[in-house]
Amino acid sequence: MADLAHTDEHETLGVDNRKLAMWGFLASEFMFFGALISTYLLYKGRAGMPPPYPRDLYDIPFTSISSFVLLMSSLTMVMAHNALTRKDQANVRTWLLATAMLGMVFIGGQVYEFSTFVQEGMTMRTNAAASGFYLLTGFHGTHVLVGIIMLLSLFGISRRQGGLSEAKGLNLELVGLYWHFVDIIWIVIFTVVYLIP
Amino acid sequence: MDQPTETREVHTAEGHHHPTPRQYVQIALLLGLLTAIEVGLFYAEPFFGDLVVPALLVLAAVKFGLVVGYYMHLKYEKRFLTRLFGGGFVLALMIYAVVLVAFGIMANI
Repeated sequence: MADLAHTDEHETLGVDNRKLAMWGFLASEFMFFGALISTYLLYKGRAGMPPPYPRDLYDIPFTSISSFVLLMSSLTMVMAHNALTRKDQANVRTWLLATAMLGMVFIGGQVYEFSTFVQEGMTMRTNAAASGFYLLTGFHGTHVLVGIIMLLSLFGISRRQGGLSEAKGLNLELVGLYWHFVDIIWIVIFTVVYLIP
Repeated sequence: MDQPTETREVHTAEGHHHPTPRQYVQIALLLGLLTAIEVGLFYAEPFFGDLVVPALLVLAAVKFGLVVGYYMHLKYEKRFLTRLFGGGFVLALMIYAVVLVAFGIMANI
């Protein structure tokens, strides 16, 4: 994302060290989510375990709308970043709040999905596929929740200080990277876990 | 004359230009359209058969690339950040492909 805080004392490779650390962290997160996705894929087709399986209960239209909401939250996030580069502090707050709200809608959808599945008789202990599903989507939801907390923190700081300074601007950039990463992980989960037969 | 705020391009400290808000919205609409096609393919699986899985994977890859390239601005960043991020992705992909094949084979023994 744009270099909002171009501070030479924090650079060694021409990129702010904090930004470099964030990219490194996000790269390592592929291993984390890769483990969870692989576990689910290994167990989803195993026979001989008590039903119901996650695939029997998926509500694709509902999950599609949740996916769309999360995709649109990436748009609002990048608009917040764009507003900051134009020093339009009021719009920064508006877009940050919109992103957090869309994230909350996504989390609400996930809570609804989980509670529906439990009512249908699929808990963490029902079978290994169910455990893998809850673990994967639950950890993703936790990442979204952490993102929401960071977004609301930035919103609060901006409101209290009347805007985000250049140093705080980098924080918005880092939170934005994290948020978009959560989105791309969901793109993979939605396709691999929900849509592929 | 100054360009209107909504269409003005954003320049980084390194002189790269980023997409305009209008372009961001166009990308979002494209992402929404690709998601709709994915869902359509899911329901059209009886008609398209084996083509559905590769088509879904290609669509997911395009969405992934759009978000990483334009929203995360990796397209405009220094090359080594692409190598760092892409390296993590490819490493995970290779390791877990081996894990899935190995465990898949063991499960069938």
